Amino acid sequence: MLMKFVRVMVAGVLILGLAAGAAFSADTVRIGALVPLTGAAAADGLSALNSLKIAVDNVNAEGGILGKRLELIYYDDRADAKEAVALAHKLIGQDRVVAVVGGSYSMPSRAVATIFQEEEIPFVAAYAVHPDVTKAGDFCFRNGFLAAVEGKAAAKVATQMLGAKRIALLYSDIDFGRTLSEGFKQYVSKNAPGVEIVYDQAYPFPEKDFKPYLSKIKEISPDLIMVNGYYFQTGPILKQAKGMGIKSMILGEEGADSPKLVEIAGPSAAEGFMIVTNLNRDDERPVVQNFIREFKGRYGFDPDMVGASAYDGLMIIVDAMNRAGTTDAKKVRDAIAATSNYNGLTGVIKGFDSEGEVVKPVQVQIIKLGEYRYFAEVDDPEVITP
Amino acid sequence: MDLFLEQLLNGIAIGFIYALITSGLALVYGILRILHVAHAAIYALGAYAGLGIYSITGNLFLALIVSMAACSLVGVAIEKFVYFPLLKYPPYVPLIGSIALLLGIEEVLRLVAGPYIHAFPAEIPVPGFHFGPITMSPVLVTVYLVTVIVLFGLWFLSTRTELGLAMRASSQDIQIAGSLGINTSRIISTTFIIGSSTAAVAGILVGIYFNQVYPTMGAVPAYKTLALIVVGGLGSVPGAVLASVLLGISETLLIGYANIPLPRDALAFIAMIAVLMWRPQGLLGRR
Repeated sequence: MLMKFVRVMVAGVLILGLAAGAAFSADTVRIGALVPLTGAAAADGLSALNSLKIAVDNVNAEGGILGKRLELIYYDDRADAKEAVALAHKLIGQDRVVAVVGGSYSMPSRAVATIFQEEEIPFVAAYAVHPDVTKAGDFCFRNGFLAAVEGKAAAKVATQMLGAKRIALLYSDIDFGRTLSEGFKQYVSKNAPGVEIVYDQAYPFPEKDFKPYLSKIKEISPDLIMVNGYYFQTGPILKQAKGMGIKSMILGEEGADSPKLVEIAGPSAAEGFMIVTNLNRDDERPVVQNFIREFKGRYGFDPDMVGASAYDGLMIIVDAMNRAGTTDAKKVRDAIAATSNYNGLTGVIKGFDSEGEVVKPVQVQIIKLGEYRYFAEVDDPEVITP
Repeated sequence: MDLFLEQLLNGIAIGFIYALITSGLALVYGILRILHVAHAAIYALGAYAGLGIYSITGNLFLALIVSMAACSLVGVAIEKFVYFPLLKYPPYVPLIGSIALLLGIEEVLRLVAGPYIHAFPAEIPVPGFHFGPITMSPVLVTVYLVTVIVLFGLWFLSTRTELGLAMRASSQDIQIAGSLGINTSRIISTTFIIGSSTAAVAGILVGIYFNQVYPTMGAVPAYKTLALIVVGGLGSVPGAVLASVLLGISETLLIGYANIPLPRDALAFIAMIAVLMWRPQGLLGRR
């Protein structure tokens, strides 16, 4: 008898709670986000979340979406596909979000993309790179570059802007590193006759000791070393290469786009290192300068491309809702697909192709006095269109 | 030839680092027959404690001492409060507890110091060396010096002191050692203190060598050291050291001279499978 009473009470409290939640949500627009806040990807997850919070505050300071307050509902997916799937269902079933920003890695993002597609909820992956994320269907978009695009852009920088003739490739042995290197090699074999790839080697993801690879590269002595990897891989490469007296130019990619890179490599080894990425710190548009100032003021260090990409991921959805004049999923989807020359933090977004892949210029940044600075921009349509 | 020597020197350094982490694990296995996976978390804790003290005081020696003390404390606490109550269960129960500790300590480090990688830009009071075309950076020299000192200390302690005799006796048969009047509970704690301090030294050295300290830095050592103590002979510290140095050298030379399609970390496990097939007692283990 007592148990039954308790059960009824619990059920009652739950129903009341849900009703209160529903009533509360009526005057807010709920957008969901999945970010890895614990485990090995926690640093990127925190970058993404910190930037998303700035985006939410900016939107609400300017009156919200369609007259309603924007509410961000985020969960920690630990960059784990199983976790992300459960949380995606929670975002849909319990929180009833109208759109979702994917602030996590490729494995979880691929897994949830199919769910959001099935439930017809617009999903914008901020920086996940795997091609399958957008292949889930027409509700899935990506604000980061495909690895192949970035690889082609890097090859253009290496061969045309820096004039390298003999190039060594050293890349992290994950999908991203391999695809980026493929794109690089494709561009070289098609557009750069006379340029030779003299070394081509993958290293395992958790690698810390790059001396065996670098000894070999030192012997070959190429004009340029293309290093594909995250800042915690590329940083030690720069430091160890400098220690071994390697004089070749070194070019990296967005994985190395973090203020932590300089800290890990040391200022003298990092000086002059270049990357292809999507955040241009010297872009004078207010959206960029205000974000950098706000981020630094709130968190005490410089933002990176992961955070900037997450910011844009959310803002692309907000912009589409404002243009569509509704949060209706299909109309928002159409509005995202129709995005054109949007004034984004990670560059002026020309739009999305039929697969949902972003089209925008690739930024080339160089480290000067310990900070990433503008070096060039690659916007040839044949390079940046996936 | 120069390239070969340079590779060899780097390989031995990597092997030495493995040896420092693995020897503590071998000690603990020898005495409690527990796979102390959380040892890798103590190693990460050691790096954080060292970095914390170093950035406050700028004194590397003080950082080393405080970090060793902190790790010993945590090591003994793990032994007293987690392993000891679980000893009466089958060995996989303390192993599960140990894995939980590894993940838990990782997350505590993240909560306290943040998820970002910290650099460890230590000023090292040791000169670098040039032998003709071969250069040994100050950090490399430090890795060699410190490892040799620590390993010599371990050897001296276990073969030339009464404490070492008691430790070896307890690791052969803890009940008989106890019945002969050895205070085995104190010996177990001492083993954890020695193992955890060695892990602290390893954590600081790795932090400086790669200039990185981060919450999940124990993740790879956690499984690689398990393979290494099997290869060396479960519970044999000299075996663990030998296996570590051999692995460091072979990893480095294989990457440098053969473009093997296998990831570096697979090598430890190939060696483990080979040892289990042909010499199950390990390189220096007893049957």
